[in-house]
Amino acid sequence: MGTIERINDLHVRKQGLEAGGGADRIARQHEAGKLTARERLEKLFDQDSFVEVDAFVETRAIDFDMQKKKVPGDGVVTGYGTIDGRPVFVSSQDFTVIGGSLGEAHARKITKVMDMAMKVGAPFISINDSGGARIEEGIDALSGYGDIFFRNTLASGVIPQISVIMGPCAGGAVYSPAITDFVFMVEKTSYMFITGPQVIKSVTGEDVTFETLGGAEVHNAKSGVAHFMNANEEECLKEIRRLISFLPDNNLTDPELKPVNDDLNRIEEGLLDLIPDNSNKPYDIKEIITRILDNGDFMEVQKHFAKNIVVGLGRMNGKTVGIIANQPQVMAGVLDVDSADKAARFIRFCDSFNIPLVTFTDTAGYLPGTGQEYSGVIRHGAKLLYAFSEATVPKINVIVRKAYGGAYIAMNSKHLGADIVFAWPSAEIAVMGPDGAANIIFRKEIAAADDAIAAREQKIEEYRNKFSNPYIAASRGYVDDVIDPATTRGRIINALEMLAGKRENRPAKKHGNIPL
Amino acid sequence: MKKFLIKVNGNQYEVEVEEIRDGSLPVYVPAAPAVSAPAAAPVQAAAPAPAAPVNEKKAVTGGTVGAVKVNAPMPGTILKVVASVGDKVKRGQVLVVLEAMKMENEIVAPSDGEVASINVDRGASVNAGDLLASIN
Repeated sequence: MGTIERINDLHVRKQGLEAGGGADRIARQHEAGKLTARERLEKLFDQDSFVEVDAFVETRAIDFDMQKKKVPGDGVVTGYGTIDGRPVFVSSQDFTVIGGSLGEAHARKITKVMDMAMKVGAPFISINDSGGARIEEGIDALSGYGDIFFRNTLASGVIPQISVIMGPCAGGAVYSPAITDFVFMVEKTSYMFITGPQVIKSVTGEDVTFETLGGAEVHNAKSGVAHFMNANEEECLKEIRRLISFLPDNNLTDPELKPVNDDLNRIEEGLLDLIPDNSNKPYDIKEIITRILDNGDFMEVQKHFAKNIVVGLGRMNGKTVGIIANQPQVMAGVLDVDSADKAARFIRFCDSFNIPLVTFTDTAGYLPGTGQEYSGVIRHGAKLLYAFSEATVPKINVIVRKAYGGAYIAMNSKHLGADIVFAWPSAEIAVMGPDGAANIIFRKEIAAADDAIAAREQKIEEYRNKFSNPYIAASRGYVDDVIDPATTRGRIINALEMLAGKRENRPAKKHGNIPL
Repeated sequence: MKKFLIKVNGNQYEVEVEEIRDGSLPVYVPAAPAVSAPAAAPVQAAAPAPAAPVNEKKAVTGGTVGAVKVNAPMPGTILKVVASVGDKVKRGQVLVVLEAMKMENEIVAPSDGEVASINVDRGASVNAGDLLASIN
């Protein structure tokens, strides 16, 4: 074979590999509303930036006549490309090639790019569209899953890891996404579950569809497994690019600085008007968040889960910040099992990747009741305190309204190491709400009064005037300043700039033992 | 025969309950309004005793309940019922106001539709998970 023939041969081989499972299977993939593994990469990366690795890798399995089957790329496309010019590594399972099933070689390809991502310190994105373990390859397939989980764990807190579910992701396969930082799902076409509907039917007799068992809606709203839900794959891939724009490449770098065209000291006159005069009335905390961030650009994380707390990413003065805020509009903004879990995980992500924390506090407290206590609100709630205490990134808290008791401490208080705590004049910072406090402190006076109801009202009012304000906390230095709400944006940016060089060390240890 | 005053979803019902012992044929006296007689259960002497209360409960709450159920997210008191049965509502529209954790929580429609039932009255105490309303 001459050189020309050899080059032609290379092209023919590559074309064969790039054709994946063939025209019929690709057509079926499209009919299901899904893109192919390679089409996804085209949309995910900057134009023509994707470089494939290991295209020629194939399985060495021989059981069940595997050597006779044609498995281009062993059912997964791996490599790297750029997103807004920054390198990102990727694996994209190809459902058209024996169902994207995971065999030994398939897993090796994935772990290879994971190792490369770790070596160069770049984010890793894993696109899942697979029928599961390749049964023909037996425990070699299981070994493959284990190798991936192990690397996911080592990479956790070193490089951002994003999982994208764009088809089935079942059984052992679900644990890699679970370990990664963010999980994207697409409505109607993606599913995640440990055991499928057939197994559930045979074991428990329960009839359940794929969608109600593990669809995008379920994992975004109920289980909290997923962080983002998109209507289709194009939108999903666009959102992944947006998320990457907020993140640094690794734990040793800062997120990219974006040019700012928004006034740093922008005065927001309407902010205090958002808070109803009656402290029993709810309002939407997201209004405050979007008015304070650069250009109102807020990427909410886990928008549909535990809505009583709002978490997400935005920018202030062009730098990425992580927002954690109680949402009075949902369940009075209470802290409970799910909201504590949600916030704690997000805080730890931000701390891992040098993203300062900005919190807005307005919570009625921890939710009482047997339901919460039996679900372990003590250990789940403790995660929030642990995560805030552990974090060494700049921590700024704005107490907007209610901050009572344990919830006051848990929400990024001075006592857990917040660098700057601001309070609005509407803040109510006390050991407990006026009603409860008056009932306890003035119990005897109330009981002795001729008109107990009037006496109670009077004592509640007395307590409210005296203690339900920001000035007692400010007099102790637990609040650094009581600020005009209109100036909040400028004050936060100023504090972030002051804190830019913050250095805070923790005792050397292998790792802490967060109450999981 | 014992008389109970039962409150279900804010409605009060007067219910008479008699324990069925072996061999005794109970004479059924219809209870005061609203409760339809659980006819089948008491007649058969052999019927297991717990069957009667179960049937009664069904009879009380057995009105039309829409496909989309709106449950109380936490325990509290119903401060206001905003929507009425038959109202066309949009997703996010307030159905009832639940006072809990010293906050007037607006309980909103999870989807567009028509209000099929309002299962609570003003002033009713509800537990987390109780049915407040339903939508079709």
